[in-house]
Amino acid sequence: MNKLAVVITTPPYSNLTITALNYIEAALSANVAVVGVFFYQDGVLNASNKVSITSDEFQTVSRWQTLHQVHQLPLHLCNTAGEKRGLSDEGSDSESKIGNNTENNSDINSAFTVSGLGELVEITNQAQRVVQF
Amino acid sequence: MKDNQHEIALLNSKAPFSSNAGKDALDIALVFASFEQPPALFFQGDGVHQLISNQNANLLSIKDYLKTFSAFEFYDIEEVFICQTSLEERNLACQFHIDGVQVLNQSDFSATLLSYRTVLRF
Repeated sequence: MNKLAVVITTPPYSNLTITALNYIEAALSANVAVVGVFFYQDGVLNASNKVSITSDEFQTVSRWQTLHQVHQLPLHLCNTAGEKRGLSDEGSDSESKIGNNTENNSDINSAFTVSGLGELVEITNQAQRVVQF
Repeated sequence: MKDNQHEIALLNSKAPFSSNAGKDALDIALVFASFEQPPALFFQGDGVHQLISNQNANLLSIKDYLKTFSAFEFYDIEEVFICQTSLEERNLACQFHIDGVQVLNQSDFSATLLSYRTVLRF
């Protein structure tokens, strides 16, 4: 089976990220196994809970979330690149209760996994092809 | 031309100190190398400036990541290629701050790069 890994280096407000999303969706619908997406450089901003894009513009983050939920697509972000850009998963373990709701204080969207560059090596080795955006 | 052990190539095309791209690529190179998969490094366009000697990043208050290039031998990173045309276009001499840099003309540079399974560009 064809296996694909994708590296995202463009931020959520970039049109190139939309191209990447379209590419991944096309690959999945052509039965290509996507072993994982690795977010590096400004790409890590796609994982931010605090990015807010005007509602009449393309909602990149919710598209990543849908891909993760529907296809169980692993979304890894580089820890160092994330911290450099103000993204921390601190608070994700200490969920504070407000009424009946639990609130996640992490900066990072729960669809994403905080990883290191070792994960990039891992998915590169699993895949026949690596495509960078 | 291609060694099976070296399947990943990193293509550097940005000047060393105007962005973090060179350092980002270096970090990837060292991690792949520490997993015993040393990558090949390619320098093209403004990226050739990353190999030119006698630069002092400290004058710009930048951490001099170029110094880490001298550790390539320790990491078994042996394949470092630079584009001759890019050097000529910038009137740069082949004076590099590390040993073992292979200067390739445009067609050899391109053919060598294409022989790798994976290319990441920075």
